[in-house]
Amino acid sequence: MSEPETSQSTALRHAFGNVLSFFILLLIGVLAFSIRLFSVIKYESVIHEFDPYFNYRVTQFLIKNGVYDFWNWFDDRTWYPLGRVIGGTVYPGLTLTAGALWRIFHSLNIPLSVETVCVFTAPIFSAFASWAAYLLTKEVKGTGAGLTAAVLLSMVPSYISRSVAGSYDNEAVAIFALIFTFYLYIKTLNTGSLFYATLNAIAYFYMVCSWGGYTFIINLIPMHVLLCIVTGRYSPRLYIAYAPLVVLGTLLASLVPVVGFNAVMTSEHFASFLVFIIIHVVALVYYIKGILTPQMFKVAVTLVVSVGLIVCCAALAVLIALVASSPTKGWSGRSLSLLDPTYASKYIPIIASVSEHQPPTWPSYFMDINVLAFLVPAGIIACFMPLSDASTFAVLYIVTSVYFSGVMVRLMLVLAPAACIMSGIALSEAFDVFTRSIKFQLLGATQSPQVNKAGDTNSVAKNDVVKTEISEDSLKERPSRKNKKKEKENIEKASSVSRIEKASLVSRIEKRLLVLPLEASVVAILLLVLLGAFYVVHCVWAAAEAYSAPSIVLTTRSNNGLHVFDDFREAYAWLSHNTEVDDKVASWWDYGYQTTAMANRTVIVDNNTWNNTHIATVGTAMSSPEKAAWEIFNSLDVKYVLVVFGGFVGYPSDDINKFLWMVRIGGGVFPHIKEPDYLRDGQYRIDSQATPTMLNSLMYKLSYYRFVETDGRGFDRVRNTEIGKKHFKLTHFEEVFTTHHWMVRLYKLKPPRNRIRGKTKKSKSVSGSIINQLCHAVHVYYCETCSVTLT
Amino acid sequence: MATTLTPTTGVAVVLLLLFSLLTHHATSHPSDSLVSDLSALQSQSPNGVIHLTDALLRRILSLPTPRPFHFIIFFDAHHLHSKAELSLPALKSEFSLVSSSFQTNNPNQPPPLFFFEIEFQESQSSFAVFGINSIPHIRLIPPSAVDPKTDSIQMDASDFSRLADSMAEFIESRAKLTVGPIVRPPIVSQKQIFMIVVVILISIPFFVKRLISGNTILHDKNIWMAGAIFVYFFSVSGAMFNIIRKMPMFLVDRQDPNKLVFFYQGSGMQLGAEGFSIGFLYTIVGLLLALVTHLLVRLRNRNVQRLVMIVVLFVSFWAVRKVVLLDNWKTGYRIHAYWPSSW
Repeated sequence: MSEPETSQSTALRHAFGNVLSFFILLLIGVLAFSIRLFSVIKYESVIHEFDPYFNYRVTQFLIKNGVYDFWNWFDDRTWYPLGRVIGGTVYPGLTLTAGALWRIFHSLNIPLSVETVCVFTAPIFSAFASWAAYLLTKEVKGTGAGLTAAVLLSMVPSYISRSVAGSYDNEAVAIFALIFTFYLYIKTLNTGSLFYATLNAIAYFYMVCSWGGYTFIINLIPMHVLLCIVTGRYSPRLYIAYAPLVVLGTLLASLVPVVGFNAVMTSEHFASFLVFIIIHVVALVYYIKGILTPQMFKVAVTLVVSVGLIVCCAALAVLIALVASSPTKGWSGRSLSLLDPTYASKYIPIIASVSEHQPPTWPSYFMDINVLAFLVPAGIIACFMPLSDASTFAVLYIVTSVYFSGVMVRLMLVLAPAACIMSGIALSEAFDVFTRSIKFQLLGATQSPQVNKAGDTNSVAKNDVVKTEISEDSLKERPSRKNKKKEKENIEKASSVSRIEKASLVSRIEKRLLVLPLEASVVAILLLVLLGAFYVVHCVWAAAEAYSAPSIVLTTRSNNGLHVFDDFREAYAWLSHNTEVDDKVASWWDYGYQTTAMANRTVIVDNNTWNNTHIATVGTAMSSPEKAAWEIFNSLDVKYVLVVFGGFVGYPSDDINKFLWMVRIGGGVFPHIKEPDYLRDGQYRIDSQATPTMLNSLMYKLSYYRFVETDGRGFDRVRNTEIGKKHFKLTHFEEVFTTHHWMVRLYKLKPPRNRIRGKTKKSKSVSGSIINQLCHAVHVYYCETCSVTLT
Repeated sequence: MATTLTPTTGVAVVLLLLFSLLTHHATSHPSDSLVSDLSALQSQSPNGVIHLTDALLRRILSLPTPRPFHFIIFFDAHHLHSKAELSLPALKSEFSLVSSSFQTNNPNQPPPLFFFEIEFQESQSSFAVFGINSIPHIRLIPPSAVDPKTDSIQMDASDFSRLADSMAEFIESRAKLTVGPIVRPPIVSQKQIFMIVVVILISIPFFVKRLISGNTILHDKNIWMAGAIFVYFFSVSGAMFNIIRKMPMFLVDRQDPNKLVFFYQGSGMQLGAEGFSIGFLYTIVGLLLALVTHLLVRLRNRNVQRLVMIVVLFVSFWAVRKVVLLDNWKTGYRIHAYWPSSW
């Protein structure tokens, strides 16, 4: 009777809701951007940590010399004397993005410096990531869940930790790319449109450009496709969502130099090809099923299945042969450590040495996703309640990412968006139920229910009912790909008509009953709001206190005010002002990127740990006595040696704490360096009980040279002991500079004596380095491992 | 030239060899009889580890130095096998692995190295001979050792930290013998693999048939749901950490051995039971919320609804509070809000 009226009012509501959603999303973007500015406010607008300095340097080069020179850039400032082909070994996504941003700003006559653009790239992209999370969750469970997920993602601590202003690293843009790729996949799955499928492949390309984590996508999506097939959810939409992605995506991925033929040659990608074969077999089965009678089909099924099995077996055999012929069974060390968690700690010290590759304990989850950890199970169950293709994907995403995060802390970053999506779904469903209960019972008490019911329930129940309907009828009523456009229109019309009819009908019957007691609902809502408030407090605290330190500038707060330690930049500035342009500086690899970026001097090794032998050479030099070390360094043309020393101010991640890893990595290639020689009864110590090998090593000497002059007894504030050997002289090195707080110490190699006899020892180049593509972004060494594994 | 040997010269060489062996045997020492006894014992043992008794040890030590062989002893105590932190059984099996690998890689007789294990409760005097008062303890006795206490070499903790491989390295560096690659028995034997493959191959057609008709266990969504929740619980409880670091479920308090420590203070580490209990708290809140939003609303009875909701709210509140408090206690963080100080 009042249908046109109702439809008009729903249209109005829709319009109002859309405008409201738009403004909410705008605010979410502002929130995501501004919560990441604590580092700029508390410190300054500066690039953080280690890897971002490299990215910054690459971006500078890109903007100065253009894309083609960047593509062909051979960098002779690092890995002396080997050099490094930057264009072919770097994921270019981040750099190109920042370069494009810079160009856009300049074309708009906004003269921002390269550094400013780099500093703010991450916050900008986290706003994008929140919007992408909105889109993805909206596809899964509707607008309400989408908005909740977006607001949760905008401030989830795990993501903040990698995207504060200044943290100019691959993950900053990659998380956005990851979520957006997933959104486009789900969108294609829900609509069956080739347009979105193509966009999906392009988004995947952007992800491949940005981060090595793209292998997660190219394994997760095939897993989902396989899951859909196995559980009998195959549809043409699935085919459209998957096949173009594999074909186009693989072609595009192999255009990225750093990936290249890996896109078809390494076993991280094999799953996608296997599923590609399977989906074709299944499509064929469905096609035959469509054109045959049931009896004929039964006959045919045996035929097709056997043929399909043979094809699969053959493909499988080829795959296994391929995989078995490569030394690591085709899997790179880092992927292997995901499947067999104990792999890395057993075989690869350079992976095991990095703190982000450790498995997390339960407080890590509370720190990084906070109360979302409580809400996720509810989200998982909500995804199962009406099961759709999109919601199975969401479940698969959370399950795989939560498993991987359990193996490696750094993958918490991949878990965070999934946790936000799940929690968004859970929260919005809960609010839905509780607000509905309150509304109905309050209104039921004051007004006559008949008048309000239809309109209200429409708006309240809109999300879930309509969503499931759409997904269900699109699931069943799409027999062929012909007349797509027309059909789409028809379905849209039909569903919009049926939406109103059914929604009002269904809601009138059901929703009235689905309520909870009023007072309990009020309390529940209060508690949920409290939980949300706690989350906000935690996130703001984490952003402000825990994750905003740039680690290039350190501060401490003591009784007499704030104290700033700017020793790193002091040392790099000294290097750039007081040394020759072509001088080589040796340090442990952590400081390689910073030295090249800030001091503009050539380094021997840096954070791109592609050549294990070279790193082992430096490790051996640091572990050797002075004379042997001098010979190694001299053979590498090293002029200066840089060590980081925290014993004076109590800075724990200094070179002495990393020293055992230098010994281990050095000993892995040069067997005359033996770890037990540096340990007294299995304990690592630098006091008077330390072994003579330890006390005579170059690292000990360079760290503690003249240290006793500071307080008269040489008390190390990190190790909390007096050092073992206090008064000694250097024979082959001379101190040239020590920073204000003694955190960085620079030494120069003394010139060779006139009658140096014999040849200088060349470092043997052992072929077949253990690791080729390795650990980026190293923050703090895992000091506890020393004590755990050694005792 | 060995390659141009005629049959007659070959026979002559063999005869010569035999003769020399015989004469050698005729002038045999007590050491030779001991070595042959030990070889016999060794071949009786499945992995080549000989069970050492007080009498046997006395016999070995009574030989004049230099003895014709090295020997290495694993000091075992059955009553301590239950102590997880000593991990004696694991070390023992690694030790026998080294032994069996040594024998397969060095088949020549008599062996230059014998592997022994000795039990504390039956041979306490032998423990005293070596002056051993703590285990795990592995000791290598070189041929020249006169006084077992001072001349033998103890294996450091770091030498068996990486199990069989590092034990082999220790032997290679100290005894100058090559152990060779450690031969680990495969987890499933060839036969079993074959069987499994056959079973899978046979079951595939049946499975595919059921798959197409759509009634496998995989089509039950409740199973998927339970699986997903379990993986979530497993991961957030940090079980992977416990596996990789081989954490015990709980520790015994150092001050008071009767007290058990379930919670470890310090965020870099956790104990097994601790992880699982927190994982349970993480999971239970979400499950209860789902119960309320999906099941309870369908219930008609108001009072049951009310009662269940009160319980759910109470439990959830308690769980969240507990986790927050425990987290603050464990990590030492003081999370605080930033209230505006002035407008």
